[in-house]
Amino acid sequence: MPLFETCIHDSHVKLGAKMVDFAGWHMPIQYTSIVSEHNSVRERVGIFDVSHMGQIFVSGKESSEFLSYVTTWNISRLSDGDCRYCHILNDEGKIIDDTIVYTFDQENYMLVPNASMISIVYDWLLLKSDSFDVDITNKSNDYFCLAVQGPESLRLLRQFFNLSITPFKLIKSENLIISGTGYTGEKGYEIMGPTSECLSIWKSFIEMGAQPIGLGARDTLRLEKGYLLSGTDFNGNQTPLESGYSWVIDWNHDFIGKDKLEVQKNSRYDTLSGILLEERGVLRPGLPVFFEGKRLSELTSGSLSPILKRGIGLSYVQLPVGSAVKVQIRNKQLKGRVVQTPFL
Amino acid sequence: MSEIPDNLGYTKDHEWVGPKEGKGVKVGITDYAQDALSDVVFVELPSVGDTFQRGEVMAVAESVKAASDIYAPLAGKILAINEKLEESPELVNESPYGSGWMVIIEPSEDLSSLLDAESYKNTLD
Repeated sequence: MPLFETCIHDSHVKLGAKMVDFAGWHMPIQYTSIVSEHNSVRERVGIFDVSHMGQIFVSGKESSEFLSYVTTWNISRLSDGDCRYCHILNDEGKIIDDTIVYTFDQENYMLVPNASMISIVYDWLLLKSDSFDVDITNKSNDYFCLAVQGPESLRLLRQFFNLSITPFKLIKSENLIISGTGYTGEKGYEIMGPTSECLSIWKSFIEMGAQPIGLGARDTLRLEKGYLLSGTDFNGNQTPLESGYSWVIDWNHDFIGKDKLEVQKNSRYDTLSGILLEERGVLRPGLPVFFEGKRLSELTSGSLSPILKRGIGLSYVQLPVGSAVKVQIRNKQLKGRVVQTPFL
Repeated sequence: MSEIPDNLGYTKDHEWVGPKEGKGVKVGITDYAQDALSDVVFVELPSVGDTFQRGEVMAVAESVKAASDIYAPLAGKILAINEKLEESPELVNESPYGSGWMVIIEPSEDLSSLLDAESYKNTLD
């Protein structure tokens, strides 16, 4: 199957990016080097093409009731302009995808699912919307999304749009949606709008000094903050409680999967935990984790933190923070420790 | 365009071998290989005294994204390792033919299996 391309695909190639297949998309993994791009975002400002992510619009009189039902958050509590990170669960309480719900007003919302989950989320919403007065439209192919992240990002926003933005708030500016969101743990925002406007914004921000950042650094940036990667840290088999994201749940409302979570809440279960390597080495997804000589689990995510210069990873274990574990890399078992995330 | 010094021997797996100095030859990875790997953040080297057959995995260079095996370019015994790479793996990127060398091997075979610079260059085209 041919790979999908974002509206500025050719620009990535011209910039000399190394391109890879990511969730069926031909995407830049790095332009210069992952470490230098990572540091650019932590220290200055970077721009990411995340147009592979989806935009699903929900409108109608019962939109807020519907979205409260299909997500872990009580969306009817959000005010106009609020953005809220939450999870979409299946009937078993397992995470289908994580998403941000954008509140334009009490009858108009947008969800941004992950690239590989767009059609699954869209079909799920349609399936569950029978008894609600809502319209659900998948406009993922018509919209771009650029993330601008880093301590200097807000200066560029003022420079280009003469606007400022608050974390987890959105503003509309002509055709564009600008939101104080991102997935790096830095100050920043995401710009979404019709694909025809993407290239000129992308080029302007690069001219203003934003470093183009590939998916390689996107992964190390999110992992340092302990943020979940769809399909990697959850794959349809984990609940928000297991993923360590109980804060995405508003227990004071009814939602799909709530009954299952209420049962699990009072039981013992593995939770996604940070693993920090105490010896030199790089953690990778799939590496086995040992505790007291017994193989417990595997890493879901793993890399080297460019800032800490230590191996960091995530794994589903039932161990208190501080527990000494070992991670097997090739033929050696290296010392690690269960730590509280974020790593940084 | 990657740099391929004339005075070194090469393998198709992108290792270089220096001229014989005493009993040993220096070994590292080529400019092409370090560029393909991108940021080297960790190098696992063998121990002094280890012996390898030609083509056996003797070391691993890891970038943020991937781990790459490094093969013994010649059969022989490890005489020395570049301990600086433990603290500063980035030397492999900064100076692949200089301070980024990896090991010194005492070969147990002659160097005739190695490619010269011209032949190595042709494998990259």
